Amino acid sequence: MLAIAASASGILLTGISAWFLGAVALAGLGPAALAFNFHIPAAFVRLFALSKTLGKYGERVVGHRAALLDQVKRRAWLFLAMAQAPATRAAGWQLGNQDRLSDYMEDVEDVDYARLRVGMPAAILLAGIALLTGATAWLAPLALIPIVLFSVAVMATLLRLMPAVGRQWTTVRSSQRAAGRLLGRALASIVPLQAERAFIGILALAFGHFNNAEAGRLAQRRLLAALDLLAGLAGPVMSLSVMVAAWQAGNRGSALLIPAFLGFGWLGLGETAHNASRIALGRVREHAAREGLEDWSTVTSAKARPTLFPALLQELTLRNVPRQTPNGIRLGEAINLTFRAGHATALVGASGTGKTTLLKQIAGWIGADNSGTFVGDGVVMLGAYRRAISHLCLHDAAILSDTIRENLFAPGASETECWLALAAVELDGRVAGAGGLDAWISQDTLSLGEAQRLNLARALLCDAPVVLLDEPVEHLDHDQASRILKRALSQLVNRIVVYSSHTDYAAPETIDISFGADR
Amino acid sequence: MFAGRLIEDARFDMVALAGAVGSLALSSGAGVFADLRAASAEDFVVNGLRTALQDALLQRSPARLRTKRAGALVAGLQRYPNALASLVISHSAAKSMLCIGPLLAALAVAVVSWQAALMLFLSVPIMIVFFVTLGGVIRGKAELQEKAFGRLAAQFSDRIRTLPTILANHALQREHGKIEQRMTLYANGTMGVLKVAFLNTGIIDFFSALAIAVLAIFLGLGHLGLVHIPGFSNLALWQSLFILMIAAEFFVPFRRYAEQYHVKAEGEAAAKELDWYFDYSDATSSDPGNVTIRPCTVAGAFDATDLPAAGLIAISGPSGSGKSTLLRRLAGIETSSRGFHSLPQVMAEGCDWISTDIYVPAGTLAEAIGWNRNLCTGVELQEAARHVGLLNERLLPGGLNARIAEGGDNLSGGQRMRIGIARIMLSSGVVVADEPTAKLDPETAKLVRRILTDVAKRRLVIVATHDQQLIEAASRHHVLQPQSEAARAAA
Repeated sequence: MLAIAASASGILLTGISAWFLGAVALAGLGPAALAFNFHIPAAFVRLFALSKTLGKYGERVVGHRAALLDQVKRRAWLFLAMAQAPATRAAGWQLGNQDRLSDYMEDVEDVDYARLRVGMPAAILLAGIALLTGATAWLAPLALIPIVLFSVAVMATLLRLMPAVGRQWTTVRSSQRAAGRLLGRALASIVPLQAERAFIGILALAFGHFNNAEAGRLAQRRLLAALDLLAGLAGPVMSLSVMVAAWQAGNRGSALLIPAFLGFGWLGLGETAHNASRIALGRVREHAAREGLEDWSTVTSAKARPTLFPALLQELTLRNVPRQTPNGIRLGEAINLTFRAGHATALVGASGTGKTTLLKQIAGWIGADNSGTFVGDGVVMLGAYRRAISHLCLHDAAILSDTIRENLFAPGASETECWLALAAVELDGRVAGAGGLDAWISQDTLSLGEAQRLNLARALLCDAPVVLLDEPVEHLDHDQASRILKRALSQLVNRIVVYSSHTDYAAPETIDISFGADR
Repeated sequence: MFAGRLIEDARFDMVALAGAVGSLALSSGAGVFADLRAASAEDFVVNGLRTALQDALLQRSPARLRTKRAGALVAGLQRYPNALASLVISHSAAKSMLCIGPLLAALAVAVVSWQAALMLFLSVPIMIVFFVTLGGVIRGKAELQEKAFGRLAAQFSDRIRTLPTILANHALQREHGKIEQRMTLYANGTMGVLKVAFLNTGIIDFFSALAIAVLAIFLGLGHLGLVHIPGFSNLALWQSLFILMIAAEFFVPFRRYAEQYHVKAEGEAAAKELDWYFDYSDATSSDPGNVTIRPCTVAGAFDATDLPAAGLIAISGPSGSGKSTLLRRLAGIETSSRGFHSLPQVMAEGCDWISTDIYVPAGTLAEAIGWNRNLCTGVELQEAARHVGLLNERLLPGGLNARIAEGGDNLSGGQRMRIGIARIMLSSGVVVADEPTAKLDPETAKLVRRILTDVAKRRLVIVATHDQQLIEAASRHHVLQPQSEAARAAA
């Protein structure tokens, strides 16, 4: 709305000024001078000047605000969408494809700002053109010829240009992302790469992609420059042709004033058309971004955790649960086990033998509902239910960039309970030193061992009947590890606890299930 | 001019029309030319920057590169060169136009009426005052917003990174609410900055509209003959129209410059960040987080020149005693500290490195094993794969054609290690291994030990390990001690 008002004011301002001057000039030539009331047009001139400025300001503010709020919504939505994507649960302790994250954010931005960059300016432009064309048709029909010719030229150019611009943009996008991914992986393996003197090669490859992207950008700008050229010509050409046409039609003297008004109106519109290339580019980017975002199209609102589940479970039985790799390839025979509350079970075996996979299956994170049966206290439990009643402590769990209290994920726990949990994992000194429960920490502030212990504290503070721990005391030396493990198990004595470990800690009441190498 | 003559003198001025068309063509041509030149210039700057960055990256030590998170590093490389190029080219162009443009416009107007030109000039100081005041306010707010944005973006990506953990802890609702709340706060903050920025552009718009309005009125009065203002009366219509049109052009450069404010902010931020990449000041100081400058064994300082041409050398020691650093120095990749020189062969050609974070390209297993080696026959690759037991791996079906995903995502740590070991069988340099038997089950570990001892018969194999059996199989064993103990021993 505001934009249209601003644009209209702009056009009217230019138009009216011209008309005013023309009228005034003519009037000045004759005795009509004294009778000419100049106040009214002058007032209009002032009015339009003001309204143009205000309109533009308002348009920018409102437009940007809408775009920003839209962005907020979309990012929150993206968060939910990613949470619900199955890939998230199948992934490891943190989503490895970080580089894809900034790509998604860029896509979100492109789509959000589409309204600002494309929608509104295009709408205004079209509205203005429609209005002026109509007026021209009425006042100076001959001028329609150049208008039609011009529009045809513009259409033809757009038709040829847009696909090319789109292609270039796709090149730029994919090259940038390929470079980013390659670089990310190279940086993850930087020590081996440098040791083998291969870093330079990979870097060259990645930067080669970057160069491709730049070349694409350059080509794109060249194409868009052509569009700008055409757009820049529009206003003046129209204006001139209107005047010429009116003259040809035989208008003279004061009859030429209205066409003059129209002509200068076209000039005013021409000013707003200089954005044409930006509009085109915005459109291309939006299109590409929407395609990129389609991967995350399935989303519903975050479901609240079902509140009705038993406080405690006495027994959990697995029947015919297949052993499988994370991608679903079956290995070996199916598993039949029973876990009991108070008798913590340890899954012992080397890395890669499927301990984590089994824990995730019990937790309902992977595995379809028809692969094996999980029975809890005589009741069959499906995946979603198991997800709700189990607490899964992932291997090398992630630390959020937030306060320690938030990192404990126990909003209902009192301060004392938090400190007790931290003391049980021997982190109370470290936390006190860092500034207490409200100190801000991030992944890098804690060492691997400390992060693992914080993760264990989360399990101690949870209230789930089934607690699954993946390598709970890795990265700690043997004595500390067995001490903490014993303490944790005794605190969780009324839950069903299953944990995995490389080493055998011989904690009391554990059942060792060896996961031998199954090759 | 054409229009003026048309209306007033009822004269179809062909010359004016031709002139109009001609100047139109000229200005369009010039515009396109300028655009293309600007684009080429920016391209040139970006490419130059990237090349410099490429070189800089090569020369940094891994420890230094690790101080910045990989995601931030990569994102920076993608965005900063472009931002900086925009600043250097577009923004500077706008600045120059700011000086030249209005001057030209005023001169043009002065040809017709110097009083009008004077009026235009008078508006400039007022605008400048506004510019400067508002500019200061904007800059302060924008900096705050930049910081807030940095925090917000980091927060958001942090939450996405830790999404599995959030789900595991049933905290999705809570985190979602937090995110929305923080982002809305941020959006409001941004609006604050933008409002001031738009105000800046708004002022210019206002002045330009005002100027046109005032000029129109004066000129109108002049035409009517009602008021006799020198310079504004006794003008032909075409002259008045001319003044009006050019007056609008006078203010355009100001507006263009104001619109570039965010380009300036981004470009300067990019420049500051890029400084980090080119900062060589720490080249001679010791790496952060590392204790030993001179690796010390229980028996004395470690001397690389003392290493034999072939054999298995084991290095062990408690965590924090610098085994990894020593390995890196031996491989010649840490910026060398005083008095430590690695083997000349390694310094020249590099070595074969085994660890769990080796680089595995996407593709088949054959490609992964043969990567960065001289061309190997299929038989050699098969043998190598068979030796490490990767041919019939249940978890990696397909033998040599087994598919390896991007980034080696479908490989476990143990499998990667074994690919690394298969690789050393296809080359002939010095081997450096970082904990090769960790993460392996007993049978595979035995296999790996056997391979390493076999290889050690012909080549130098240096291993950092906790594995007792490997240490026993070694011909030499160095035990590193942490810095504190070494200092105590020296004291």
